[in-house]
Amino acid sequence: MAEYNKSIPSPDPYVTQPFWDGAKEGKLMLPRCTTCNRAHWYPRILCPHCHSSNIEWFEASGEGFIHTYAVQNRAFGGWADETPYATAYIDLKEGDRMFTALRGVNAEDPTSIKIGARVKIEFEQASEDVFVPYWRVVD
Amino acid sequence: MPSNPSMSAAIVAAAESDKIGYIEEGTTALNLHIEAIRNVCAEAGVSPSEIDGVFSTNNSNLLAEYLGIHPKYIDTTAVGGCSFQMHVHHAMAAINAGIIDLAVVSHGEAGYSSRKNQGKGTLGGGGGDPWLPAAQFGGGPYGAWGPPSYYAHALTRHMHQYGSTKEDFANIAVVTREWAGLNPRAVMHSKETNPRGGPITVEDVLESRMIVWPLNILDICLVTDHGGAVLISSAEKARSFKTSPVWIAGAGESQSHADMLEMDDFTATSAHASSQAAYRMAGMGPGDMEMAMIYDSFTVTAGITAEMLGLTARGEGPSLWADGNASPGGKLPVNTNGGGLSFSHSGMYGMMLLVEAYRQLSGTAEDGVHGIEGKQTNAQSAVVNGTGGLLSVTGTLVLTSDV
Repeated sequence: MAEYNKSIPSPDPYVTQPFWDGAKEGKLMLPRCTTCNRAHWYPRILCPHCHSSNIEWFEASGEGFIHTYAVQNRAFGGWADETPYATAYIDLKEGDRMFTALRGVNAEDPTSIKIGARVKIEFEQASEDVFVPYWRVVD
Repeated sequence: MPSNPSMSAAIVAAAESDKIGYIEEGTTALNLHIEAIRNVCAEAGVSPSEIDGVFSTNNSNLLAEYLGIHPKYIDTTAVGGCSFQMHVHHAMAAINAGIIDLAVVSHGEAGYSSRKNQGKGTLGGGGGDPWLPAAQFGGGPYGAWGPPSYYAHALTRHMHQYGSTKEDFANIAVVTREWAGLNPRAVMHSKETNPRGGPITVEDVLESRMIVWPLNILDICLVTDHGGAVLISSAEKARSFKTSPVWIAGAGESQSHADMLEMDDFTATSAHASSQAAYRMAGMGPGDMEMAMIYDSFTVTAGITAEMLGLTARGEGPSLWADGNASPGGKLPVNTNGGGLSFSHSGMYGMMLLVEAYRQLSGTAEDGVHGIEGKQTNAQSAVVNGTGGLLSVTGTLVLTSDV
């Protein structure tokens, strides 16, 4: 595998591990409260909507939309090699929002990127166990 | 005359995390906090939603975000083991003052597990905690390196939602620079104070170096060294000093999130809630304000905050600076020191807002040098808003003077 030269997240074995396990298999796993039936992101041991502790994980569609974005013209470490690149907040089809770097866009032309554009999740292998989620514009 | 706070508050429930002691399977400080809060709420028969004050060492904003609540009082006093006695004291004072009704004082510390976890899951201490949700899923893994990386997303959304333009926001920097021209101590006062100082135009802003689209470098505050302080006195002694009093007519605070990952509406901040509280306490409204000191870490911060403070309609924040209205001689002077954009901004700009507001309202804002028109206004009331974090937390004051 090509060397991943960017910051690698540290999975938290107590709360977020199911997400990272799913990522390894190319699946977007999300937490959902079985009391109010709403998904949430980031993963918690307490539902932020109804404060129940009854949380389950389910495989989500991996589809969403760009809520807003920016183009990073300045960056450090491994990301410095990728400037300019676009970051974005993604509205998940199942509700709530994730942060990401966008794939499949021309960051040299910021206004060519559209809020509301459809995106799909993909995972890039960063280490033996960590696969980092990215979102690709599919429109 | 404030009442004696004695007997004004009581501890109504107490609880622990699910497990305590040597937790062999491990845990995190954040989990310990949340378990304890859930348990104490259950014990008292209240929902976490009823909590309107959060008191803890350092992490109160994160705890509020995690619970999905938006408290009116946030205290992070962190002075070691006695902090929690002090939190109770502060909570009592806040309750006695009528600001909040129900406070939680929370503690979570993974002293045993942190060894097993190699220092992770500790909730902080300088180097940060790589297991914090925002460390795993926020900007870090995607190369976001500081506030500009995040704030830019808010400006993109504002332009999309309201049809505002980069030019609209650039004008905020232009007007703020006009005020810097009246303040000889402003970094960007003139070519004498800085090679890049002196008046700027909207075109200058748009053509300046792009840092994080849509934020050019002239949309972004300075990064300076700065110190400041203010003295607060009781009302009864307030006239016993050589200086004039500026009255704290109203105060309010609130938060909407800690990390931008949890920012619900990228075009709004809790400055709406904090200013509403401050106006209510003061018995005044935005129309009564004769000047404004608005946190301008970025042009977008100032523009959105103008809306939240009720000084413009939603979506029209930058219009506050249009047509010379916020300029020297305008009908509502804004950021009369030259702002974080052109005066000085050391990272936490709130003190600089306070010092300038005091000087303006006490009639001691300097009158300029070398024949330059002074920046002293006639204002006798000011709204002063600070924004912290990533458009996360806000505090608003309404100050008045009778000089």
